[in-house]
Amino acid sequence: MQPGTGWDEAHIASEVVARKVERILRDASVDGGRGLGAVINETLYHERVRLQGAPDDERTRADGAFHARVRRDLPHATPARQRALVREIVARYVGEITGHFDPRVYRFATRVLPYALSGLMQGFSPSALLGELRGASHLDEHLLLEGEVEGLQGVAALGTVILAPTHSSNLDSLLIGYAIYRMKLPPLLYGAGLNLFSNPLTSFFMHNLGAYTVDRRKADPLYRETLKEYATVALEGGRHNLFFPGGTRSRSGEIESRAKLGLLGAGLAAYRHSLLRGSAARVFVVPCTISYPLVLEAASLVRSFLQETGRSAYVVVEDESSRAQRWVDFLRGIAALDLRVHVRIGRALDPFGDEVDAQGGSLDPRGRPIDPRRYLLRDGAVTEDPARDAEYTRALGRRLVESWRRDSVALPTSALAFALMDVLRRDLAQPDLYRLLRAIGADTPVDTARVEAAVDRLLAELQALERAGGIQLGDGLRATDGRDVVDRGLRGLGAYHATPVVERRGAQLVVLDADLLFFYRNRLEGYGLLGAPRLCPAAGPR
Amino acid sequence: MIAVLGAGNWGTTLADLIASNGHAVRLWTRAPAQRDEVNARRTNEAAVPGLRIAEGVSATSDLGEAVRGAELVVMVIPSRGFREVSSALGEVLAPEQAVLHATKGLERESNARMSEVLLAETCARQIGVLSGPNLAAEIARRKPAGTVVASRFPHVIELARRALSCPRMMVFAGDDVLGVELAGALKNVVAIAAGAATEMDIGENAKALLVTRGLAEVTRLAVTMGANPLTLAGLAGIGDLMVTCASPRSRNHRVGAALARGERLPDILAGLGMVAEGVYAAVAARDLARAHRVEAPLLDGVYRVLYEGTGCEQALRELMTLPAGRDVARFQSAS
Repeated sequence: MQPGTGWDEAHIASEVVARKVERILRDASVDGGRGLGAVINETLYHERVRLQGAPDDERTRADGAFHARVRRDLPHATPARQRALVREIVARYVGEITGHFDPRVYRFATRVLPYALSGLMQGFSPSALLGELRGASHLDEHLLLEGEVEGLQGVAALGTVILAPTHSSNLDSLLIGYAIYRMKLPPLLYGAGLNLFSNPLTSFFMHNLGAYTVDRRKADPLYRETLKEYATVALEGGRHNLFFPGGTRSRSGEIESRAKLGLLGAGLAAYRHSLLRGSAARVFVVPCTISYPLVLEAASLVRSFLQETGRSAYVVVEDESSRAQRWVDFLRGIAALDLRVHVRIGRALDPFGDEVDAQGGSLDPRGRPIDPRRYLLRDGAVTEDPARDAEYTRALGRRLVESWRRDSVALPTSALAFALMDVLRRDLAQPDLYRLLRAIGADTPVDTARVEAAVDRLLAELQALERAGGIQLGDGLRATDGRDVVDRGLRGLGAYHATPVVERRGAQLVVLDADLLFFYRNRLEGYGLLGAPRLCPAAGPR
Repeated sequence: MIAVLGAGNWGTTLADLIASNGHAVRLWTRAPAQRDEVNARRTNEAAVPGLRIAEGVSATSDLGEAVRGAELVVMVIPSRGFREVSSALGEVLAPEQAVLHATKGLERESNARMSEVLLAETCARQIGVLSGPNLAAEIARRKPAGTVVASRFPHVIELARRALSCPRMMVFAGDDVLGVELAGALKNVVAIAAGAATEMDIGENAKALLVTRGLAEVTRLAVTMGANPLTLAGLAGIGDLMVTCASPRSRNHRVGAALARGERLPDILAGLGMVAEGVYAAVAARDLARAHRVEAPLLDGVYRVLYEGTGCEQALRELMTLPAGRDVARFQSAS
């Protein structure tokens, strides 16, 4: 925690309420403001819509009772009473967001986590795990921590850090929690979706791993602004944060090609507030990639992706990450196959997207030192300008995406999937993705030798790309050949998923799950490899 | 205080316009003789013959002196020298300073846009582009005109308006920096085709056909690269194309006319004595169209006439015998 910002949790929560309420009162009272009644009515409207679809449980009933009372009071409310109602609404949101957080349990959970994950790899049942803390840590062998680890440790001592990883799996936050522990960094605050609280295994950690609650079903703009304000104040209070700027897990398997800017802007807001308070506190954004040889919930992610993008007859099954047993199977699979997950730390950035040096000093694109505070100056003073600051945050998002692409670690499962998909694409010559996937679904064996030759070409391109700093290669892709990569890829893709993705039959390879093949090949999408056109439909508008 | 970097005909004209609006202007030029001429005699005969430069303009050859303390830096440097000047600018620029560039070209080899060069070489973030139908010679003679300033930063547009806007200059705003930059660079290729068509005397119908189809190709390419289609219908697109294609004064137009007379490119450029951005933009247009898999037969034809010895007559014949597809893309009404 940085000097001069020893805010405790209660102070952070009350500061969030105070700022948010003040902002609402100011916006509502200016000329052309819509008035407090309209603000309250908007909340009531969005919350009523949400509650209509919500399960009939204790939480829903309590929210319903609260809204009924507000609705009853509103028509007769004096201006003072309206202000009180606004404060109640905001305080209720803040209480809900921070409700699970307890620093003591937090520290405990951080210690327990590595044993728990290692234990799972060795085959303990989750229920036994939560009771016992035995088991040597095998996790270290399967989680490789690479890149600018010292750089991250350095900036974490100089200021507040936002760690910004790629997002592929609900396992990400747990692995990052463990990586942070191994780097001997103080814990991270993390906004976890309510859905993560539904699986008993993850729920235990989510409740306690510094997670505050994010309810994605709440469409009330006031709720979303309150969330952002909470992240901002927590950063100002010196709490390191974990953001997944991609928003949700990558459904296609591709590395995120854009960052969502809402929460990301909290870093710049926190930095600006600190400057305006006369504090020299700094904020750093550290990109990070998590590269999995296999993805726990790949099957449900890709099916949901294909359903969203195409006019296909895909039906989304229940997300496998909601079942505890799935996590156990996955971790055991990783251990049994001796696979490695790469967590790679990128170079630290300032809130404007400039790289910083070991002393935390910002650098321009040519490595010249600059004072980032000056980006906020107008006529010599630090100012707030939402349009300007949104552009700075957009630039930060672009730099994150570039860093993710450079620091992504290519692994044999994706290399095999990419090369095989390219051979099939050329053979089948289908005009669009959905027909291609259906055509692969039919029985279309491919000579293994052809795939090995394609992997050889891919390896040459990947190695050249790595030399140019455009990607990282895992050990399984260095000093090797197509035959070896196909073997390793088949071991991974053949083992964990319910149906093997690809199978060897004599001298041929047969694809049994074209969707998953597509998912794993997408990790190498966008690098222009093998001269292949983009198969994965690009993300929607910014 | 406003800095104008580059004392060619457009840079000098802009400096004069800004100073006429009551602002102090520092005009940077590499050449000491030019600097002294501006300061001592209030003229820059080589660049803008006959112009009496407003008193508010003071010329300097020291980039740091020009830039330090300026709230807006206006870059008017040809694309070929843009990176070098940007790199030097990076040594003296502060993060809070806004940069507006008025260069209608793309960098050779990299095909980078000028705003991309600025982002790569300096700490500048608050960047904008100035473009439109602006023949410097007319503006220097105080004739009325309009221009467009595009930036993602409203503050940059505000600064540019404060500097440029007056009863003889309307400044329109936009946020499509990429679209304005591509329109400004690529329309020069179409202007070369228009110049050739004028010289070949193939008639006004054919000339309108060439220019319109050329704009359609530029639009297709720019939109594929992320531009707003309507930007190409604005001042930086159609507006600029109208002036470059209609006016025999335009450099690119003159290049086209000379090609149609059968002159060779090196001789044409030597005779011109100035930069014709379209000659380089033709290379960029061909590269970009290939990279983005966009069909652009007219832009490609200009390239072949410039660099592969294809005759204008033959290029025209090839264009006229291509299958004609849809005129414009299908429109989906909002209602």
